[in-house]
Amino acid sequence: MDDLTKEFIAESQEGLDRMERCLTELEMRPDDAGLLGEIFRAVHTIKGTTGFLGFDRLEKLAHAGEHLLGSLRDGRLAVTSELISGLLRLMDGLRAILLLIEETGGEGTRSGDEDGELIAELALLNGEIPPAQIESELLHTVVDTGEPAASVRSAEQAAKISGASGPPSAAANSERNGAASDKTLRIDVDVLNRMMNLVGELVLTRNQMLQSDMAAANFPELARRLDSVTADLRETVMQARMQPVGNLFGKFPRMVRDLARTCGRDVRIEFTGQDTGLDKSLLEAIKDPLTHAVRNAVDHGIESPADRVLAGKAAEGCVRLRAFHQSGSVVIEVADDGAGIPMERVLKKAIERNLVSEEQAAGMTEREALQLIFLPGFSTASAVTTVSGRGVGMDVVRANVEKVGGSVEVESRRGQGTTLRLRVPLTLAIVPSLVVRSGGQSFALPQSALVELVDIPQKEFARVVQRIGSAELYRLREHLLPMVWLDRMLGLAPDSPDTSQGHYMAVLEADGCRYGLVVDDLMSPEEIVVKPLSPVLREIGLFSGATVLGNGTLALILDVGATASRAGVKPIEEQTVGIGAGEAAIQEVAGELFLVFEDRARERTALPLDMVERIESVPLERIEYAGGRPLMQYRGELLPLKDHGNVLPELETARAEGAEVLATVLICGDAGRAGEQRMGMVVRQVLDVSAGTLLDRGAIGDEQGMDIALVKEKLTLVRREFGAKATAAWQEVA
Amino acid sequence: MRMMDCDKVDEIQEENDTVSLCSLHAGTETFGIDTRKIREVLGERDLQRVPMSPPFIAGVVPYRGEVLTTVNLRALLGMEEHLERCCVLVMEDDEAAERFGLVVDSVGGVVTVSQRMLEANPCTLEARGRWLFAGAYKMANGLMVQLDPQKLCPSRLSETGLFRKSVNGGMDASPDRR
Repeated sequence: MDDLTKEFIAESQEGLDRMERCLTELEMRPDDAGLLGEIFRAVHTIKGTTGFLGFDRLEKLAHAGEHLLGSLRDGRLAVTSELISGLLRLMDGLRAILLLIEETGGEGTRSGDEDGELIAELALLNGEIPPAQIESELLHTVVDTGEPAASVRSAEQAAKISGASGPPSAAANSERNGAASDKTLRIDVDVLNRMMNLVGELVLTRNQMLQSDMAAANFPELARRLDSVTADLRETVMQARMQPVGNLFGKFPRMVRDLARTCGRDVRIEFTGQDTGLDKSLLEAIKDPLTHAVRNAVDHGIESPADRVLAGKAAEGCVRLRAFHQSGSVVIEVADDGAGIPMERVLKKAIERNLVSEEQAAGMTEREALQLIFLPGFSTASAVTTVSGRGVGMDVVRANVEKVGGSVEVESRRGQGTTLRLRVPLTLAIVPSLVVRSGGQSFALPQSALVELVDIPQKEFARVVQRIGSAELYRLREHLLPMVWLDRMLGLAPDSPDTSQGHYMAVLEADGCRYGLVVDDLMSPEEIVVKPLSPVLREIGLFSGATVLGNGTLALILDVGATASRAGVKPIEEQTVGIGAGEAAIQEVAGELFLVFEDRARERTALPLDMVERIESVPLERIEYAGGRPLMQYRGELLPLKDHGNVLPELETARAEGAEVLATVLICGDAGRAGEQRMGMVVRQVLDVSAGTLLDRGAIGDEQGMDIALVKEKLTLVRREFGAKATAAWQEVA
Repeated sequence: MRMMDCDKVDEIQEENDTVSLCSLHAGTETFGIDTRKIREVLGERDLQRVPMSPPFIAGVVPYRGEVLTTVNLRALLGMEEHLERCCVLVMEDDEAAERFGLVVDSVGGVVTVSQRMLEANPCTLEARGRWLFAGAYKMANGLMVQLDPQKLCPSRLSETGLFRKSVNGGMDASPDRR
């Protein structure tokens, strides 16, 4: 096969993938001209290129499709579900031919007449009597498509057939995609340009190094530059390997649609966290288990519309796919709002199948009982569909995920639905984390598990830390938080016996446990690349990997959940989980956490929490002025300061009176985001971190360049420059 | 042709007879490891200790984009901790496909010895030694004990259970301090 054809196949497959996404969306928003345009373009491109490459069969089919799409675009046809099914079948037809070309190099004219039926159907959908030539080829179809009533029926039949054959074709799709996408990778041109630039830089630095020698004055500088170029290059390549999970989600709308039709369900699919990056190889590895899980959710999780209405739920079921980073792994959740797993039937079947004894079953907690569905004996279809309504091949799902070092959890609430959680380790994945020091060593804590940081000055230590027996507790906003000393737990000698510096406590949350991890010092937040540990070190069970820090030293990545259980921190029990869920619900609705502070007297102002990188307490002397504007030196860069509440002049006055004055500065702006400069904001006092709802722009807020939000049922102003961005982010989530 | 073949066979026998070993030191003793099993000599490196790890693990060290687990030879032999900087060798185990590092006091050089100089382990050797040593070469200035890298691989050391218990019994990762 020549390069041109190869390129054509890769390009066409991408076009068809796009088309697939657009088609399912089109069904929901039939009036979207943009979507139609996209679909039309995909088919049109294939048609145009095939003619040129000489694939007649493909061209004929694409032409028929284009014709139908043309009518649709001109508004002569309305989007119906038959039409969408027809177009989906057109897509499958095109895919099949592409596959044939990829495998054999030819499009197989021998089986050319296979398309006749499809072309006729497309023509029929277009409201035309198929051309005589095709008619003769397809006598049997044409016979009963003479009258319109019959034609509708035949289209329906066809739809059923396609629905029935949905799953196998989806499986075939995934195999094919696997083959094609293993070979090629789509990279942002910007990333590629950056790589090229870095390679150029590398060559220049090498040249300079070759010309100078070790003793040259500029040698250390060259070495430094080489170091930074290499680091950048490594990072860029890593970035190129990372693929958004959204790529994987893309094929699910179609699958869910087909499956829902076959099973007589009404199902909607929702996604969150499509941007979560995962290494390409891992993405491939979890593709099949995930497909299986989604299919299970539609097939067995969600009830029929009638049952749903009886249960007082909306007729339309919902499958939610969510991807996010959690304590050093990527979690992909498949949640349905179906009937949940009937526990007693699971147990009954397990006893019948001799998987557990009756006594064992009686003593099982719900969590343990749920684990039964992962047993191989549970996976035969008859056992499952009649018993638990769930669990077809769950053992296979688990085996596949565990093969890449991940784990599967299931959670089910009677009548409320089932959540399946695939946890994939992120060998190679990049996690934002906080580097801390304890006992003279560096450890990385995944940011996702980090709730907040607390500074415990030595003089306040006795007051805030309370004891019950030997257990130490920290009273954090009237909640008692168990404290875990990292150095003691790991058996490390304390870094310095002199504790006058005080301690820092990282409030961590994982697997439902919340605790305070006491460390000696906080270092910088870093995006770390996770390296696996050898089996011997994995056995320790406390570290999920290691990473090379910016300064070249190694740091171990702490497994936050395992640390909790090692220290004996128990998950918060049901009732508290309820509260937690409530909080989560608020966050979900609000979508955003705010840092509430006071800058002008008596007024509450807020910033979206993720905009605030750090809160610094700086001596007033460190704030300098240039051209009348306050500036601060911060980690080697010059930070412009904003002082909306005129706090600085007040502090200056206080200092003139001889007092030792500290100013509170919020370091804002995300350093990781390109093209955005950090800035500091001087505030009077930091009040709280809390979820809030952004209200419509009120007249009051508008005048001052602020938005108004409701945080903890109090009016709060949100700085516009950040508020606008936050709104955009919400819309994306919605 | 026949003659040449014969020559070749002779050569091979010759090669089989001599082994090139890399000599290394731990305490006052000298050890040798087949050079074909050594991937690289890293020289002096800063090791990152791993808390709660088995006592024979010296720590981890970054190596070509990987995190390399290192085994402390002194800890295996029950010697005191070396106070100065240690030298790291990278071993490659073809069978287990596991790379690991070996931490020794210093690395000598490459010595070519005849296989005939190899003596089997004495029958009076205790269990740990029997596991670690693969005989000794009689050298001019004493014995050079041969080590088998395959048996030094951390996962195998942990499997045997011979070295699991730290002599100081603590949770500390540091090697024996007695």
